[in-house]
Amino acid sequence: MPTASLTDVTFAYDGRPPALTDVTATFAPGECVMVTGRSGCGKTTVTRLLNGLAPEHFAGRLDGEARVGGLVAGQSSVQDYNGTVGSVFQNPKTQYFHANSTDELSFPCENAGLPSGEIHGRVRRAIMRFGIPHLLDRNVMELSGGQQQQLAVAAATVLDPGVLVLDEPTGNLDADAMVRLHDMLAELKRDGVTIVIAEHRLAWCADLVDRYVLVEDGRIAGSWDACEFAALPAERRREWGLRALDVTSAREATARLVERGLPGGEGTPVLATHDLVVGYGRRGLLRRRVGGFAKAVPDLQLFAGQMVGLMGRNGAGKSTLVRTLCGLQPACEGRIELDGRPASRRALTRGAALVMQDVHYQLFADSVRGELMAEVRDGDDGDEARAKCDGLLRDLDLLDLADRHPMSLSGGQQQRLAIATALMAGKRFVVLDEPTSGLDHAHMMQVGRLLRRLADRSVAVLVVTHDDELVAQWCDGVVAL
Amino acid sequence: MLASRGPLYLDPRTKLAMVVSSNLLMFLHAPASIEAVAAVLFAVPLLAGPRRGTGVRMLGLYFGLVAVQFAVAPLVGALPWLHLLGATAAALCMMLPCMIAGLSAVLTTRPGDFVCAMRRMHVPTVVVVPIVVLMRFFPTIRHDWRQIRHAQRLRGGTRNPLDALDRTLVPLLMNAVTVAQDLTVAALTKGLGADGPVTSLAQLRLRLRDAVAMALCAVPVVLALFL
Repeated sequence: MPTASLTDVTFAYDGRPPALTDVTATFAPGECVMVTGRSGCGKTTVTRLLNGLAPEHFAGRLDGEARVGGLVAGQSSVQDYNGTVGSVFQNPKTQYFHANSTDELSFPCENAGLPSGEIHGRVRRAIMRFGIPHLLDRNVMELSGGQQQQLAVAAATVLDPGVLVLDEPTGNLDADAMVRLHDMLAELKRDGVTIVIAEHRLAWCADLVDRYVLVEDGRIAGSWDACEFAALPAERRREWGLRALDVTSAREATARLVERGLPGGEGTPVLATHDLVVGYGRRGLLRRRVGGFAKAVPDLQLFAGQMVGLMGRNGAGKSTLVRTLCGLQPACEGRIELDGRPASRRALTRGAALVMQDVHYQLFADSVRGELMAEVRDGDDGDEARAKCDGLLRDLDLLDLADRHPMSLSGGQQQRLAIATALMAGKRFVVLDEPTSGLDHAHMMQVGRLLRRLADRSVAVLVVTHDDELVAQWCDGVVAL
Repeated sequence: MLASRGPLYLDPRTKLAMVVSSNLLMFLHAPASIEAVAAVLFAVPLLAGPRRGTGVRMLGLYFGLVAVQFAVAPLVGALPWLHLLGATAAALCMMLPCMIAGLSAVLTTRPGDFVCAMRRMHVPTVVVVPIVVLMRFFPTIRHDWRQIRHAQRLRGGTRNPLDALDRTLVPLLMNAVTVAQDLTVAALTKGLGADGPVTSLAQLRLRLRDAVAMALCAVPVVLALFL
């Protein structure tokens, strides 16, 4: 098994200050190391130096040596790492190359020039090893995010690399999917694979990690073995921007919220459902019913000023419910009331705002201010609208960016901009889809505060989320599907 | 492991021959009877596999259009405008065998087999890789399109069609750029573009049934040429 090591590494992406400074770290064969730290601390760069993507693909200046076995970053080409270092990335949707899962599994073998018989053998062994025969010969697009990530790990290790690097692999996963990812890594660890995980989510693999390396501002700020790290006060880890090592208490708090039911409120609820069934039918040849999906939803009442979480595993119908509440698809049965009146789909669409997980889908204008002004309907007074727009931008810390192009903003800034457009349009309720996926502790808290401020403007806020910590800290109630 | 192939699974190269044959028939203006036989022939791969529904629908459409032509013919003398209907049906009828052959080739072939067939025919990597990426991207774009439409409906539409186009294309392209970057990185770490020979999981061989199928595809072309 090759040893991976960084020796006196300083790395700066072209035209930027150093992302890593004087980093020395050794990853012993068979060791499972978590490289951790807040977003932007440089932990992703560590993974890129280990799989050769930097400096060849992500160009920059590298001093010192990043070596895995006989491969040296900058001297060996990225493709040569195939078979020695496997890589898994954050977004399950954008790391498969082939549309078919079997093709994806054989892809690294084909590029390595293995004969067909051996590829068959390796693909078969990979699916046996991880117990994923159900993922064979499937359309990858139709798999869940968790299954896509399982496929990514299987494909990254099909050539039996000695080292596996994972860059925030749980950023887009729900709790069940994290457990499945954990089990795959446990299998690899048993086989003696060196595993390097760059993450700020700690709980999902705490039992596998042998050593924690903390990166702060591009420098190694500390290194602890698992016992020492667990013994540190939880407060310290939070200060470093890390998520909890143990999410049991957050999970319990969430369960208590679920048990208590939704909190009541004063006056008329903004949104109320009665005997709602959401779903979609599917019809085949000759309009025969061939399956589909239907889900009865417990009656909901959302009041202005409240922040309610919507939780449930993948496939429980969260997105279908959200689309129905926003008037994007018809309800199968039951009725929805907006401000006490039965609402048509049109009325719901007009009253609702949706902040998507991929928030860039919903920004179209050529400047931040233009994005808000696009919400102004004809006939409104220009000056008044402009004053309101600037006021909102100031409140959401976007005023300095008013003339920037929305696509040039960071993910968090785009999220705030989408919320600002909802406020500008005077929406009655705002639904957010996984607003904290991939965020470290500090940013999660920031989003929580932002949503609280949003609710305080007498808007009903519904947060679709897997994030127990967000719910436990910020939500007034939880709907569990 | 690749169980879904079935006994009638044809080599992608055979299906390519089928597509070529269907195009030749169109250019040669094959008589209606030959055209009809060809349409049925090209639908066989669809009818024999899990895409039976598509095959039945395409053939239904084809023969429906043929029926329209027959129904219209005796009435044209009295109602000259029916010519328009008859001519449209005839034009569609000429194109349908090509579409059926194309659907047969695309819907019944695993993408990996296509790639393997292209490599066998010594198509250069610079052509193969973009085609693979294209196959990968189509469903993604459809998904993005739906997301963007939803976002637009919630934000309130615009009456200006140019604005609407702008509002759809900008997010679509921006997202495509991000996906392309991620995809490149993932593919590089899996050795795409490495020096040295590239192999395929799929093992393709032209079998007897492929020879029979190719001969069958040639029959209507030969008939159209010499009849």
